[in-house]
Amino acid sequence: MFQVYLPIAEISVNLLIMLGLGAAVGFLSGMFGVGGGFLLTPLLMFSGIPPAIAVATGANQIVATSVSGALAQWRRNNIDFHMGAVLIAGGVLGALLGVLLVRELRAAGQAGLIISLTYVALLSTIGVLMLVESVRSIRRARAGKPASGRKPGQHLWVHRLPLKLRFPRSRLYISAIPPFVIGAVVGLLTAFLGVGGGFIMVPAMIYLLRMPTNVVIGTSIFQIIFVTAVVTALHAGFNQTLDLVLALILAAGGVIGGQFGVTAGQRLRGEQLRALLAIMVLAVAIRLLFDLVLPPGELYSISPLSAGA
Amino acid sequence: MRALLTLMLLTLLPQSAPAAGAEKPPAPKEEIQTDLSTREIAIQSNFTGIEVLLYGSIDFSQGTPAKPGEYDVIMVIRSPEQPLVVRRKEQVAGIWVNGMGVVFPSVPGFYAALSTRPFRAIASDEALRELGIGITNLDFGKPSTETNDVDMARFRSAIVRLKKEQNLFQEHDDGVAFIGRSLFRASIAMPVNVPIGRYTADVYLFRDGELVSKNQSTLEVSKVGFERSIYNLAFSHPFVYGLLAVLLAVLAGLAGWFAFRRE
Repeated sequence: MFQVYLPIAEISVNLLIMLGLGAAVGFLSGMFGVGGGFLLTPLLMFSGIPPAIAVATGANQIVATSVSGALAQWRRNNIDFHMGAVLIAGGVLGALLGVLLVRELRAAGQAGLIISLTYVALLSTIGVLMLVESVRSIRRARAGKPASGRKPGQHLWVHRLPLKLRFPRSRLYISAIPPFVIGAVVGLLTAFLGVGGGFIMVPAMIYLLRMPTNVVIGTSIFQIIFVTAVVTALHAGFNQTLDLVLALILAAGGVIGGQFGVTAGQRLRGEQLRALLAIMVLAVAIRLLFDLVLPPGELYSISPLSAGA
Repeated sequence: MRALLTLMLLTLLPQSAPAAGAEKPPAPKEEIQTDLSTREIAIQSNFTGIEVLLYGSIDFSQGTPAKPGEYDVIMVIRSPEQPLVVRRKEQVAGIWVNGMGVVFPSVPGFYAALSTRPFRAIASDEALRELGIGITNLDFGKPSTETNDVDMARFRSAIVRLKKEQNLFQEHDDGVAFIGRSLFRASIAMPVNVPIGRYTADVYLFRDGELVSKNQSTLEVSKVGFERSIYNLAFSHPFVYGLLAVLLAVLAGLAGWFAFRRE
């Protein structure tokens, strides 16, 4: 019942499960304002989709969700297009490097391993940070103290670099090098992990570039559209790892789930939700780690020469 | 190839012998006709595997019918061969990673052998080997990496084990059933991940351990419709395919925004 054959992954999956997966991740991303790729890609891998296909298809899914998000942000004039352009330039370079890296690793049969390891490192770091932060916020809220805002800081070393550009929307006059490098790192992660990278970009924009918080989210989503689009096209072009049927199912689920997520997120309390998301992120990391550490039931694996693990 | 030559000789010899005229003509042999329930398997979105029926009958008009139970039938269905990488996991610093890999150049993507009785009860080991009957008689080609025999045997048996788990290698020594004296049939369950290509179905008729007749039919497994277009586009124009995917994702995002915006 409801089995759908995926022409590139060459497996049959349950349509309802995949729609549900897209909707669930879309719901979470709508609720927390995150891309959701860092949950979607591992969950696809758990459902038996080969890692490289999960990464490419996950990136394509983020294109769909970020287009919706960016339109909403653009309406509120929350996008710094100048900054976005510099971030995208870096992102495209990072994406190209990442796609070629995945290609080499697939040829060596190590793509699955390195993707899993990077996920474990990234998810456990983010999970712990989020958990600590949300527990602190909950305690602070109970103690009745107001949440602390960020202090206006002095100029950092990143502001003394050459190639200064004016970013009117952010009211900044800073070097183009830091945003370019941030963009490149995020592009690399997108290509390698199938994530949007907002969770790296947003803190970097706030604490390194000192951008005003109101344009940070919008500019980040704007950059994510283009970088995930480039990553999708490059993965399809170089690695043939994009499954369009799977992408369409996930996009349909994701777009619907995302809208409900936004509504739900506005009604619920932030700190508890963040703690919940942190626990989910940690659970995914632990599951991935278990798969790497526990003795496998089968030591051997086979794959056609052209495709990789 | 050698098996084919032997077969050609086997079939040619009895016919040329009567031309000599002198001796008593050898008994003409029984012949088999076989066919498949389908000549084409179309893989599309609702594909979850398929059961194929392979059937045939013994034509006695050329020979003396034996008693029921004296005939044995073996069927071999195989897909084109492809290079396959086998990798073995090794523990490095507490983590299981893919270690050594061996490439076998010609492994059938799908292979099923079915028979009325265990193969070795039907024909000699040499005959089975020559005809490529049975998984143990498959030749995967010269491995890419040199290693000791014990290790190589492990890699080889890993292919067989994993392919069997996916139902891509099958052996059923009670898979062929006779219906009456001349009709026989077998059904083969092909799993969802069957490789595409032109399959061959060889049917061998044995009598008292001797091959008396053989017949071959072909089966085309291909992706059709939407799945075919996607698969072909993804591999022949990968960048166009990628851009199409991006376009569809952008449209999905736009559609979502228009459908749900609150203004």
